[in-house]
Amino acid sequence: MQRLLWVLWPSFIVAGVAEALFFTLINPQELYLFGEPVNFSTIATYSVGFLGFWSICAASSLFTCFLQRTPGEINGGGCGHPPASPAGNKTA
Amino acid sequence: MTTEPSGTPGAKAESDSSVEVSLFEVHKKIQVRAVSGIFATWRWILVWFTQLLFYGLPWLTWNGRQSVLFDLAQRKFYIFGMVFWPQDVFFLAVLLIISAFALFLFTAVGGRLWCGYACPQTVYTEIFLWIEQKIEGDRNARMKLDAAPMSPRKAMLRGSRYAVWIAVAVWTGFTFVGYFTPIKVLWNELMVFSFGPWETFWIIFYSAFTYVFAGHLREQVCKYMCPYARFQGVMFDPDTLVITYDEERGEPRGPRKKSLDYKAQGKGDCVDCEICVQVCPTGIDIRKGLQYECIGCAACIDACDQVMDKMGYPKGLIRYSTENAIAKHWGWKDILGHVVRPRVIIYTAILSAVTLAWLWGLATKPVLRVDVIRDRATLAREVEGGLIENLYRLQVMNVSETAQRYSLSVVGLDKIEIAGEHTVEVPAAANKEILVQVRVPPESGKTGANVIHFDVKSLNDESVAVHEKATFLMPR
Ligand code: SF4
Ligand code: SF4
Repeated sequence: MQRLLWVLWPSFIVAGVAEALFFTLINPQELYLFGEPVNFSTIATYSVGFLGFWSICAASSLFTCFLQRTPGEINGGGCGHPPASPAGNKTA
Repeated sequence: MTTEPSGTPGAKAESDSSVEVSLFEVHKKIQVRAVSGIFATWRWILVWFTQLLFYGLPWLTWNGRQSVLFDLAQRKFYIFGMVFWPQDVFFLAVLLIISAFALFLFTAVGGRLWCGYACPQTVYTEIFLWIEQKIEGDRNARMKLDAAPMSPRKAMLRGSRYAVWIAVAVWTGFTFVGYFTPIKVLWNELMVFSFGPWETFWIIFYSAFTYVFAGHLREQVCKYMCPYARFQGVMFDPDTLVITYDEERGEPRGPRKKSLDYKAQGKGDCVDCEICVQVCPTGIDIRKGLQYECIGCAACIDACDQVMDKMGYPKGLIRYSTENAIAKHWGWKDILGHVVRPRVIIYTAILSAVTLAWLWGLATKPVLRVDVIRDRATLAREVEGGLIENLYRLQVMNVSETAQRYSLSVVGLDKIEIAGEHTVEVPAAANKEILVQVRVPPESGKTGANVIHFDVKSLNDESVAVHEKATFLMPR
């Protein structure tokens, strides 16, 4: 569960940015899919686009997570190092 | 809503159910004690303000259309009198820059004001907490309920709490989607249960998002997920207002009888009631010093002030202050005197410059745009009378609020002219694509590309005109 959020959350944010950039520059009605003009409704195109971006970004996060594990963790399991003691990090 | 200060430590009811399945780390469920006071009131004012705005705006009509609508299907954003097209993305980008600098400025001066009072995460958590408290009772009652085994009563309370949460979440999801597809259409669809599949998907998605974030993740969002929380520290300096516990005044802490002279016993003002810890939405103890988790909500100030009142001590053992002020025993006058400092001046200067430029850009935003695209199918052809004809597609975008008639003309070559219609009518805030045939006698131009210009002028308003470049191809 923990690992799932580490993967899904950053990719969600980046996918949002990617979606906004992509679709301000490109009109969904001008897209082609396998040589055919896309003929879903605009909302469907945006939605599919977002979910697509999200899965790609999530795949990247997942891969990071996967490679980030130290040999010890590969033996034991777990991704990254969630802050062990939050009281330790001070501001300013 | 604080009770008599006593020595009861807050985190006593540590049964199994107080440890929630953790998303980020082993996480003890925080049961927040409700608090009232000046800062809590301010937070509620902001909750009301932002939420009336959020839930209400899409229902407001302006010029016969939804006042604020990010119409994705039409690729147009309406904000009251203004219409933004994809070509206006620049304004959006600059608006983001402005927001960022405003945030920097506020943070440098007032610390995490945004987090404590205006962030949706705070606002929705506040709403959800309020519901929780109305249904399940105050902090003690809730902790007892957490610890109690499942019973019909517990099931009933939990069930109704989740039901009300879901209702608020769904309404939020509905409103959110209502910013992107006209909300009244959506409402009519709701009445007959005929949402499109994607609308249903996004309403459920955003509802679930609200429900999970405000109901269950709460302070974990601030601690582990929020990017702002991660970097706000770099905007702090020793003159930034933060929530501080006056250690000098408070320590050594300890319970005491109100009647005794605690100073004679060598005690400080802190009665160690732990109420400041119980009200803290992030579950920290501000007396340990400023911590990254502190969202600056000032709940601990309100709580502590009430305790100080009860004890008959001056308020402000926990208060808004600055690092320098605490160290050097400054009063408000000195703190305010240190607001103006290089960092603040720089942020203010950038912020005002960008904002002015942005406003100026908005005020002078063109009300007519024309895109000229050569027709790709035919390059040039000879038509009757030996004239050479080129075809163009003109995208005429009427960015104004009223329907307009435009005249079309073309210049740049001798005897150049448009065959057919010379005017075009475009409704308010709409665009129209027209096919234009331009004809020229062959001797007027050189072989190959010739520069010409289209002139599109509004017939309703002299000052609205566009002079758009194009090329005319002359065959050999
Ligand atoms: S830390 Fe982030 S999520 Fe939490 S209140 Fe601040 S801005 Fe909002
Ligand atoms: S320490 Fe005080 S100001 Fe900071 S989050 Fe907790 S209650 Fe709010």
